[in-house]
Amino acid sequence: MALRLDYTVRETAKNVQRNVVITVASVLCVSVSLALVGFALMARQGVERATGYWQGDIQFIVWMNVESTSDQIEGISRSLDENRGVEDLTFFDQEAAYEEFLDLFADTPEMAETVTAADLPPSFRVVPVDKSPEAVAELVSQYQGQPGVMRVSTATEAIEAIQAISNFLTSVGLAVAVILLVVAVLIILTTIQLAIYTRRREIEVMRLVGASNSFIRIPFMLEGLLQGLVGAVLAIGALAIFKPFFEDSLPAEELPLFSELTFSSVEMFGTYLFLTSVGILVGTVAAAIAVSYFLDT
Amino acid sequence: MIRLDNVTKVYKGDVPALREANVNIDKGEFVFLVGASGSGKSTFIRLLNREEVPTEGQIWVAGKDVSSLSSSKVPFLRRNLGCVFQDYKLLTNKTVTENVAFALEVIGRPKSVIRSQVPAILELVGLADKARSFPHELSGGEQQRVSIARAFVNRPLILLADEPTGNLDPATSVGIMRLLERINKTGTTVVMATHDRSIVDKMRRRVIELERGSIIRDQARGVYE
Repeated sequence: MALRLDYTVRETAKNVQRNVVITVASVLCVSVSLALVGFALMARQGVERATGYWQGDIQFIVWMNVESTSDQIEGISRSLDENRGVEDLTFFDQEAAYEEFLDLFADTPEMAETVTAADLPPSFRVVPVDKSPEAVAELVSQYQGQPGVMRVSTATEAIEAIQAISNFLTSVGLAVAVILLVVAVLIILTTIQLAIYTRRREIEVMRLVGASNSFIRIPFMLEGLLQGLVGAVLAIGALAIFKPFFEDSLPAEELPLFSELTFSSVEMFGTYLFLTSVGILVGTVAAAIAVSYFLDT
Repeated sequence: MIRLDNVTKVYKGDVPALREANVNIDKGEFVFLVGASGSGKSTFIRLLNREEVPTEGQIWVAGKDVSSLSSSKVPFLRRNLGCVFQDYKLLTNKTVTENVAFALEVIGRPKSVIRSQVPAILELVGLADKARSFPHELSGGEQQRVSIARAFVNRPLILLADEPTGNLDPATSVGIMRLLERINKTGTTVVMATHDRSIVDKMRRRVIELERGSIIRDQARGVYE
């Protein structure tokens, strides 16, 4: 059966109009929870980017000079290899460094254009046997100032702390967001239940005269979807507005290597798309539950 | 048009509301269902429009096996059935015209059809001059006429009426019965549950009497008792 668009739109609008207060409540609940999810994702991306070199157990990096000779590189490599304090070792030549650079700045191509492989220092990523700060400092001092070595940088406690805090906050944020999303589902469900109750006589007549099930359901499904969607749009708006403040508040000077944190539009587009999908999903699921519980009796 | 084969309906854990009913109603018949309250009249009606499914037996309505009809097909069955109730079931926030138009609108009839059908059916039920009134501005008899207009506007094959005169005084009831008779004359099968003795006796149509769920009488040109 052809669904009549004007009818569907009119009925949905009427439902929303009749239950304005609770509709606002459910939309706000969706938007707050999605904004929280968005901030958590944004923070995680930012911190991951900033600490991207320090994946796994890598505790320090020996950066070679760009002009260092292959003999010098060879020498450091052998020395690290034979060092009993070193558990694992990865060598990044200039090509690999460039690959990594492109990865880290995948969303800011203008940055990548200014750099070539030849500009980037080769490096050794070192996992020491003993990961205590003292042991790492001892190892670092052995390589600091060696011929061909530009500098040796360590995964400072600051980075570890930031990672730990970021992980903790992200988990807490996501947990709270999930709880809020469940609350949002319940509120939307109640809103739709209310809309169904308000219109029970109309629904009874519709059934009686042979309106198809989908015809009866769609305005309510659409109402749920809309609440989720509007909530998501508000959340995205809030994220876009607060993003600059959020970036400023990150302790950039604590992050030694690439302190520049940017959340480019490409990166955010993915997050926004994700939030929109979650919003629509939450609204539709809530409406579907309400409709199947209170309509299909 | 309507056939019941050994139909039994038992509500959860209760005594049967209808037991082993066998009825055959032809196209164009006018049938009264009579019996005391709780005798199974309403259950009979509700089985026909598939608000209930039989516990046992088979029901055929307008060529369809209602007992095994999937729920997605029920709306299409109901488009062939008009239903009228004691409490009219009108939408109080809609005018007479809107109430009748609603029935066509929600089954997706085009606006042009609605615009031509609604005034015609209001003319038929004698409410052309009340088209823009709201239900609360109408008398009980007028409200029931609106309800009949809504049930009949889609030209169903069958009209089911559950105590349509239950809330009306005798004079008004006569008017409603005349209207149902006119509808019946167009070839529409009418099944009406009632315990209005005078109406049944006056009309002398087929009477099916129910008592505690069993059909105890099925009589052409019958009276109430």
